[in-house]
Amino acid sequence: MLVMKNINKIFQTADIQTHALRDFNLTVNEGDFISVTGPSGSGKTTFLNIAGLLETFTDGEFTLDGKDVGSLNDNGRSKMRNEKIGFVFQSFNLIPDLNLFDNVDVPLRYRGFNAKERKARIEANLERVGLSSRMKHLPSQLSGGQQQRVAIARALATDPRFLLADEPTGNLDSEMAQGVMSLLEEINKQGTTIIMVTHDAELAQRASRTIQVKDGRVSELEIVSKQAIA
Amino acid sequence: MLETGLIFRALMRNKIGALLIALQIALTLAIMVNAIFMIQDRNQQMSRASGLDEANTFYLTNTIFGDNYNKQVNLQTDLHAIRNTPGIVDAIQINAIPLSGGGWSMSLQHEPGDDKDTIGSALYMVDEHGINSLGVELIAGQNFTAQDIQWRESGSTKWPPKTIITQAFAEQLYPDNWRSAIGKTFYISQTQPMQIIGVMKALQAPWNGWSGVERSMLVPFHMDSKNSRYFIRTEPGRRDEMMPIIEKLLAESNKERIIRRVSTVEETRQRSYQRHNATNKILMTVIITLTLITGFGIVGLAIFSINRRTKQIGTRRALGATQWQIMRYFMMENLLISTVGVVIGSIGAVALNYWLVKTFNLSPISVELVLFGVIALFVVGQLAVLYPARRAAMIPPATATRTI
Repeated sequence: MLVMKNINKIFQTADIQTHALRDFNLTVNEGDFISVTGPSGSGKTTFLNIAGLLETFTDGEFTLDGKDVGSLNDNGRSKMRNEKIGFVFQSFNLIPDLNLFDNVDVPLRYRGFNAKERKARIEANLERVGLSSRMKHLPSQLSGGQQQRVAIARALATDPRFLLADEPTGNLDSEMAQGVMSLLEEINKQGTTIIMVTHDAELAQRASRTIQVKDGRVSELEIVSKQAIA
Repeated sequence: MLETGLIFRALMRNKIGALLIALQIALTLAIMVNAIFMIQDRNQQMSRASGLDEANTFYLTNTIFGDNYNKQVNLQTDLHAIRNTPGIVDAIQINAIPLSGGGWSMSLQHEPGDDKDTIGSALYMVDEHGINSLGVELIAGQNFTAQDIQWRESGSTKWPPKTIITQAFAEQLYPDNWRSAIGKTFYISQTQPMQIIGVMKALQAPWNGWSGVERSMLVPFHMDSKNSRYFIRTEPGRRDEMMPIIEKLLAESNKERIIRRVSTVEETRQRSYQRHNATNKILMTVIITLTLITGFGIVGLAIFSINRRTKQIGTRRALGATQWQIMRYFMMENLLISTVGVVIGSIGAVALNYWLVKTFNLSPISVELVLFGVIALFVVGQLAVLYPARRAAMIPPATATRTI
């Protein structure tokens, strides 16, 4: 469970103070699939960065699985990221010099799994995204959709409780975007909580909940039941 | 968990930069090790004992210009006056000064004849006070007596029948047992016999670069010459005090000569090895410069590599890497590059040394020295990469979500 209460994030430079999040409140329950929408500069990515422990917040309360995130130091946040959170980025962020196997291996090594365990997890997750036959390929040898699938496999390899996706279909054509979206839905059905930032209203509606962020606040919270739509 | 395999495979896909740094490390190692070896070789030469009591000896040149100057009488008068001056241990007339760069050498042989094998030796003409004045140690046999001393006319080719040689020379003449040299006869000027009556521990020749620098002999001669050197030994710690006293004593005792070039043996040693010292400084500068260039090269490559991989580093942080794991990545990467460099460099160092040994007759390089070079370059590499690695570790994980 992810709970944010009155989270503020202020970016301060010598001359300018930018209030990226203002009294941001959100509760994400186990198994949720939340889409986060909003105009550019509204604070979506800042929210995602704070939720994913990539960035600290200025004040407020943030607990992740009951743990007070504000009290963690850099090492503690790294450890929690590795154990509880998986990331899917807009531009995939695969390491170009490593093949698919090694790319998926990266977070597993930070966790400290032994070679046998890592191999099993890499193979299972590449199989899960349909790329087990291309383990020795480099990212540059794959299409955008395939690269995003590898990124999803990498994010899932550590069995995270939360999968955070930052515009996961932003760099894909519509057909590939549909494929990635279907994969995320399937992963959510298997129990992983997903928070997805997107500009695409159609994709956003496929989530179980949609929140809209405006001027650093949750301006509108709409609970969408896909079953109800169906 | 170490990422050695991942780092190695990533390096294999970006070989050029890493290979250039590895080659730079290799070149530095090869040159560094051989330069240190040459410095060590020179230091070893410079630290060799001359055999003299260097701290308490000095010498001067006595140049006669008066027509009525009786050289033989005045030599005895001078030596008597010097020896009887309080603070002086002993004094002699000598033809050359060890390590001074100028002196006499003669070829000697076991058997008489013009077709026999010869061995070269430096030759010092001294009297029975020679051993004591030079401060050399007589380790076998006996010293000259006053009766052994002969007057040598300028240009004379006649040699006295007795000699005292160094242990190194005795070992060369009689490799099985140098002590057996005592009483043996060898030949000088092809046919003139000369009996070895004593062996001294050491007395270096005037030429420090000569391979036979440890081979010297004393012959019992006084020289009947207008230009001669007096070699004087003082009581311990009184050399500097006695130098002007003796100079004044001699200058005032006879106005038909001039006393000049009053020098200590320590000054002579310093002059003798001036070139060695200069070469060592140049070699040391080369080592330091090369090491710095290599260090800066590593820093440059690491910073370039980090700047190129900023987003990748942010992604690694987002995937759970701690700051230390990021630092370790770059330090490990440098370790792998350095390993390739030192392996090539070690082969290069040995090859270069082989060439030096062949060309300049040096001794082969030691394994310890190569090992020292390897460790030094590993340390330089790790120190050089420390700052860039720290910079990489400071890249925030949020960089992963930035689109630029």
